[in-house]
Amino acid sequence: MDISILGSQILGIIPLGDIVFYMTSFNLFMFVTALAFTFLIAISKTETQVEAEFGTLGDRQLKVAKNEFKIRRFLAIICGLATAGAMVTGDLFDFTLFVCLIGIVNIGIVGAVKQIDVLDSAFQYGLIAMMASTPLFAGAALILASTGTISILEINSLTFTTPMMLLGSLLLFMGVAGETGVAPFFATKAEMFRTPGSPFLLIIHLSSLLIIVRAIEILLIINKPF
Amino acid sequence: MKSIGRIWNSFANPDKIPRIYAMILGIVLVAGFIIPLTLNDNQLYPRPEPQNQINAQDPLAPYDRGGTPFQERGIVTAQYKQFLPAIGFITAYLSPIAIGVKNTTLYYGTSIYSSPGGLIDEILYYTRGFDTVLESSILMMAFVIASWVAINFTMRRED
Repeated sequence: MDISILGSQILGIIPLGDIVFYMTSFNLFMFVTALAFTFLIAISKTETQVEAEFGTLGDRQLKVAKNEFKIRRFLAIICGLATAGAMVTGDLFDFTLFVCLIGIVNIGIVGAVKQIDVLDSAFQYGLIAMMASTPLFAGAALILASTGTISILEINSLTFTTPMMLLGSLLLFMGVAGETGVAPFFATKAEMFRTPGSPFLLIIHLSSLLIIVRAIEILLIINKPF
Repeated sequence: MKSIGRIWNSFANPDKIPRIYAMILGIVLVAGFIIPLTLNDNQLYPRPEPQNQINAQDPLAPYDRGGTPFQERGIVTAQYKQFLPAIGFITAYLSPIAIGVKNTTLYYGTSIYSSPGGLIDEILYYTRGFDTVLESSILMMAFVIASWVAINFTMRRED
């Protein structure tokens, strides 16, 4: 393999029919990070919060019930695996599907809590995640229409960029920003972190961080600003 | 005239965030109208003219990709030429329900016919392999979350 993507050599590919996963040292690092964190989550127990009240001695312990713990661990593991997959996929449409899976699983992780405030902001986040799937897939479709391919390896070897590819990238970025809830749409997620249930909530942070880094890599590959 | 600090503060209110997102998305979409359209003719997934299949009274028109499952390859262009011999053998696969619908009506391919899993998806996605797995796992997660919420919040309410 003597193909290079953004200056780093491809170490190998994993062919799955028409969809190819590729590994560069950059992708591989993020892939291993996501998998290692998923493993840590799979073997850990949830935290217990203590709520202190001003002026009194009435401390309250917030515990996570067993069935709530189980569904959140399951969804957190799926979220970690989807993040790991999105790090190495070499297909634009596959990437959007992974992001969509992460979005829906994030809603589920906080949808299982019992605090009303948290559920309210999870509802608002769900609205954004649903809206975001439109620009996400529309962006991938516009890039497919203007380049004729959605393989990132093929797009990497193209020599031209058109304004429509720029619009497609912009829509794709809007979609990723909505699904992962980064700033300026972060307020909905910030409320969600108040609930007890670390470390499962941390996978929401980690997945959005890694997905944004990867999305920027893909946008650089498509638009070739350098 | 609101001060900039008040505008920043409105970003901290979760109720307003979906509206802000929808507004920004609307601006981007409207700005998209002035972008000149370009279409690359050398598309990855070619198919015959839609009218050909409709005139031939094909119930799967315009999505028919030909072929017989496990025997004959459908109309497939591979992204990576070295994998071409291996793909396209299940492009024509239909589930028993889909075969039933196909035998009942001539308009299967053009009707908005949906069920869990999506019958149209069966024709579209088998070309691409791993997408099929992901697509159905998104649906499965949605059902997992919905049924958990239904069982624990709707049927076993504690309050």
